[in-house]
Amino acid sequence: MNLDLTWRLLKGGGRKGLLGVWLTLGAVAVSTALLLFAVAANLAFDARAERGAWRNPVPVAKDAAAKDAVAVEASRFDYVRDRAITVVDLAALRPDAAPPPGLPRFPKPGETWLSPALAELARELLPAELGDRYPRPAGVLGDEALVYPGELVAVVGHAPDAPAMTAERSDDWIVGKPPVRVASLAGTPSEDAEAYKVLAVIASVLMVVPLLVFGGAAARLTVARRDRRLAALRLVGATPGQVVRMTVAEAVLVALAGALVGAVAFALAVPLLTLIEIQGGAWFAGDLFPGLAVLAGVLVAVPLLVGLSAVAGLRRVVVSPLGVAKRETPPGMRFVRVLALLAVLAAFPMLTQGTSVAIVAVALGLAFLCLNLAGPWVVGLIGRITAGTARGPARLLAGRRLVDDPRSAWRTVSGVALTGFVAGFLGLLSPGAFAQADGPPQLRVLAPAGQAEQVAGQARERLAAAKVPAVVTVVKRTVVAAPSGPLDAAAMDRARTALAGLVPGRTPTTEADERGFGDQLLADVRVGTIVVLSVSFLVAIASAGITAASSVLDRRQTYGLLRLAGTPLEVLDRARRAETLIPLGVMGGGAILVGAFCATPFMIGGVSVAGVVTLVVCVVLGFAGVIGAGALSRPLLRSVTADPAPRPD
Amino acid sequence: MNDVLVGRALVKRFGQTVALGGVDIAVRAGEAVAIMGPSGSGKSTLLHCLAGIMRPDEGEVHLLGQRIDAMGERKRSALRRTRFGFVFQFGQLLPELPAEENVALPLMLGGVSRQQAVRQAREWFAPLGLPGMETRRPGELSGGQAQRVAIARALVTRPAVVFADEPTGALDQRTGQDTMRLLVEATRHNDASLIVVTHDPNVAAWCDRTVEVRDGHLVTMSGATA
Ligand SMILES: Nc1ncnc2c1ncn2[C@@H]1O[C@H](COP(=O)(O)OP(=O)(O)OP(=O)(O)O)[C@@H](O)[C@H]1O
Ligand SMILES: [Mg+2]
Repeated sequence: MNLDLTWRLLKGGGRKGLLGVWLTLGAVAVSTALLLFAVAANLAFDARAERGAWRNPVPVAKDAAAKDAVAVEASRFDYVRDRAITVVDLAALRPDAAPPPGLPRFPKPGETWLSPALAELARELLPAELGDRYPRPAGVLGDEALVYPGELVAVVGHAPDAPAMTAERSDDWIVGKPPVRVASLAGTPSEDAEAYKVLAVIASVLMVVPLLVFGGAAARLTVARRDRRLAALRLVGATPGQVVRMTVAEAVLVALAGALVGAVAFALAVPLLTLIEIQGGAWFAGDLFPGLAVLAGVLVAVPLLVGLSAVAGLRRVVVSPLGVAKRETPPGMRFVRVLALLAVLAAFPMLTQGTSVAIVAVALGLAFLCLNLAGPWVVGLIGRITAGTARGPARLLAGRRLVDDPRSAWRTVSGVALTGFVAGFLGLLSPGAFAQADGPPQLRVLAPAGQAEQVAGQARERLAAAKVPAVVTVVKRTVVAAPSGPLDAAAMDRARTALAGLVPGRTPTTEADERGFGDQLLADVRVGTIVVLSVSFLVAIASAGITAASSVLDRRQTYGLLRLAGTPLEVLDRARRAETLIPLGVMGGGAILVGAFCATPFMIGGVSVAGVVTLVVCVVLGFAGVIGAGALSRPLLRSVTADPAPRPD
Repeated sequence: MNDVLVGRALVKRFGQTVALGGVDIAVRAGEAVAIMGPSGSGKSTLLHCLAGIMRPDEGEVHLLGQRIDAMGERKRSALRRTRFGFVFQFGQLLPELPAEENVALPLMLGGVSRQQAVRQAREWFAPLGLPGMETRRPGELSGGQAQRVAIARALVTRPAVVFADEPTGALDQRTGQDTMRLLVEATRHNDASLIVVTHDPNVAAWCDRTVEVRDGHLVTMSGATA
């Protein structure tokens, strides 16, 4: 009986009721797609970390018997055309040593295995530029060995006693890993892979909180439309249970449809999402597809959350049949909400003293949620001020409406306010790279103790043979080769190739090479910022549009009668605009400041121009987007009020 | 010749339905006219045509000698705001505005300063039996009180004609009659004409005359005519 009635309620809502259903469906679809994205992003970084783990060896325990060690592994970075190549040096200690992922067998001494992209590059460039560094290629690495599709990786086989496997190396992970004896090539995710995972978690928190707010708003949208109808049902004697079941059934049905649409939309977007370059490369599509279990989880969780939110929204109707039919002065928003935010802000610097990233993420999420808690209170305050100082009808209407329902007004602007928080946070966090002026590029390599002069001599010979004019000098133990004359990328790579293997286990590098990792991290933070901001914006704009439309739908009778009595549509429209813009200005600005405040403990160096520019662009886009989304509901307002005999339904 | 509002040969069709089949009606200054008739007979349609809410398919509507049915929507809207007042069955008050601001709204729309508008609005509360209700919100008023606020809102701009479509339809009979008496007295007091659609003969008795609509035609006229 319930489902049947629910279905008839759904259909009987009329064209405008159906519009509400579509709005809910759209909102849920957007939420689901973005939620899947947030989850998939985390899983994708996990997958990358796992796949890269074999290059980050776990040494056998010191006291373990020598027979536990099956291989010696070391890694370093080489460079071609300013791109980093991960070079893994491997030596088997036992004939039955298992090969690393992506290789059919353990590489024999002298053999090299190249990743597809590196093999391709080696074919394109002259052997003197790249190929000669990796002679005797035995095959191509499988995707299981690669962090991302176009990655440049070389695996070089050695004998266990080869100089490359025994010579001392730097411990600095930026330069590579010294040779260690390992019991297996499974390895463990590297420090930077772990760092990226943490960054992904933070980004997800920043994206998911506005999403939850938005999803809740969508659920209440369904309920709001049904408020009066259901209150009427209660009046004619439907039991609270029946009312709740019917509404929840409707909300869940619509949400399920929306979630499915969202999942399809996400699947369609994956090919585009794989193009986002992070850590130096794009993504395997497989990494971005969350597993079936996750997908099923989201498809169950989203309708469930929407249903719960609907129940919460319905409490009023159920408690008192007159609760909705009769509207009273809403109880004042409690100041405690603001105290909560202030408390978190005060504690924030202390919370972030802790080194644990988990605590930082929690603190961030907390500040975020409290902002959301304080939002309605501040909106109410803004409303009182606006109404108190209003001269014209539009502002008066806007102000009174803000006081009447600060939560709904907050929902409209919360997206942008939370985005403002993110923008303020990240705007300060992304310094404009450690840009220093580079001198002419010089390749430098550390020579073994006491052999610097000898290595320098070899370097001169090799460079002369490769026809790269260069001045080779020795600074303490470092051999510095400064190519003279015009130097293009090809000549640089010839020099690199000539010097490859000059010192076993070490790669000659330039200052720019070494800085590359820092630059990469900053570039990735910037990409991450843009991704998070785009998601927040999508949410903010969708939420503004949906709230605006639903507010028109909810109040269509009053709007219609006002228009009949001669109230110009422009006044209603101006009131609606002010209703959004005033809190948007105050809250958006406030949120950016709060976000910036939260970012100060993490700040590296000064405020960056790039960050500020991102922030300004964000604010401008946010305002434009919200105004635009609100303007979209103007035709709806027109059509809703055009009915000469508006009837309550 | 002191007709304020005149409708001539008004015809309105909705698809196959003929809601008005050629209605002639004239309302004089200060006169209260009740429109009665069975459900679906065209009462609301007649009211909407006379008030410039709808355009009749045929016929003309004149306010003080000026033809209004041919005006554009913008002009008719301004006319409704300044020259007409409206009282509907319910739902016309903005729930978030206190009563006095609901009443002041039409004045503010007309450009009166907020202070002035609210002061003028307050003057209506005592005569309509609403002392102390100025700052209550519609949700905190009884149905009858809310209708009286709506009456104040309709009259505050000192309109030439007040239109009321079943203004007491949502009230019990006694409250309805009290409210109706207030409506008629207040409009008379303000030299405004009143056109009210009602189902209640007792309510109609408060008016100067009653017209009856059947199937889109005026069939009887009773009460004082001159
Ligand atoms: N917007 C419309 N579209 C189609 N038909 C309409 C429309 N408005 C009114 N009608 C039809 O015109 C006729 C007259 O309607 P009207 O609303 O004027 O009746 P009424 O006398 O006010 O009835 P009630 O006493 O029930 O309010 C009815 O048959 C109605 O169905
Ligand atoms: Mg009617």
